[in-house]
Amino acid sequence: MKEKINTNLKSLKFVFNKSKSYVFPSVIILISILLFFQFVIPEFSLLFKTQEEVNALKAKTELLKENLGMLTNINQDTLDSQYNTMILALPANKDYIEILNTVNIAAQKAGVNLGNYSFKVGSLGKADSVDISPVIKLNVPIESGLTGVNSFVQIINNTIPLSQIDSVNVGETSSSVTISFYYKLLDSSNYSQDALISPVSQEGLNMIDQMKEFNTASSFLMPQVPTATASAVKQVGAEL
Amino acid sequence: MSTDINLLLRTDEESLRQKKRIKILNSVAIGSLIIVGIISITIFILIQVANPSSAKREQLDVLEKISQFQDRQSELYVLNNRIENVGGILKIRRNISKTMRELLAEIPADISVSGFIVDEKSVTISGESKSLSPIADLISNLSDMVYKKEIIKSLTLSSLDLNTDGSAFEITLKSDL
Repeated sequence: MKEKINTNLKSLKFVFNKSKSYVFPSVIILISILLFFQFVIPEFSLLFKTQEEVNALKAKTELLKENLGMLTNINQDTLDSQYNTMILALPANKDYIEILNTVNIAAQKAGVNLGNYSFKVGSLGKADSVDISPVIKLNVPIESGLTGVNSFVQIINNTIPLSQIDSVNVGETSSSVTISFYYKLLDSSNYSQDALISPVSQEGLNMIDQMKEFNTASSFLMPQVPTATASAVKQVGAEL
Repeated sequence: MSTDINLLLRTDEESLRQKKRIKILNSVAIGSLIIVGIISITIFILIQVANPSSAKREQLDVLEKISQFQDRQSELYVLNNRIENVGGILKIRRNISKTMRELLAEIPADISVSGFIVDEKSVTISGESKSLSPIADLISNLSDMVYKKEIIKSLTLSSLDLNTDGSAFEITLKSDL
């Protein structure tokens, strides 16, 4: 039995001695493969990730540089003027004071007297509906016939804040006009400092010019606030 | 017969082949280790070269400069937003004032307008005249507008009466816009 074990050991030793020279390089190769998968491949992915990060940073920096160049070249006075025109054309809140001014001044310019009227402003913080173009609606009684009402309607139609005449009902001496004044709250959800800032397009510039041709309440002489307006303001205040 | 077999020679060949194999295997082992090392060092250097910190620094510089124009940036954003929305409004805004102006231009001076109701869908004109001729002119003018598809789509004579004392004709016309 012992002899048999010795024989086996001897044969094992023989086999080991014969293939001893293969073992060391094979182990090295295995280690190399192991190192490759364990370290080199993760390093590769880290390299790609870093490269992507750098590319993204560079792209964003380029965009910011473009924005910076654009902002630097803007004339502040021109921008202010354009901004004021457009924010007056479409207020970012329910600017009921401007609406009252506009209606009264239009009435004065048209030479008509307004009856008592009121309108519901509602919440000042948010739009009442999810409309694309929310409005504040007024029904204005006018103590005048067709000529005066027509003149009033034409003036309102060419005055900013932008409005729409919904209906006109003219009698011989008293009439009424329903007007919807547009407003639009600012949606800041799309605002991002990292987004590309577009300059005002040619179409936009044309629109600003078009709006500048409209009348504004301040472009007329400041009116005496008639009794009707005063009561309307009181009513608005009460509703708030 | 067995004397023909040269065992020694065969052993040498085998031994040489084995040595050659071992040599190749050694070379492959060392080579693979070197390659793995070189690749690893190269990637490490590339990662160091592509270090994002300098790009981050540059971006921070630009952001700092932009922050000086933050008001201008938000003003421009609001301006573009208003332009977009005003454009949308101008497209959908009904121009009743134009409708009114153009219809009134078609009413002869001899007709006294006693009622004029216009909304988004229809317009109703009521008036009176001492003779039928201006009334006929009015109907003719408005009919032309319907044919030319200008402003009004239809024209209905709702009523034509002689008033109680017989001094004037009263007419009411209705049109769809």
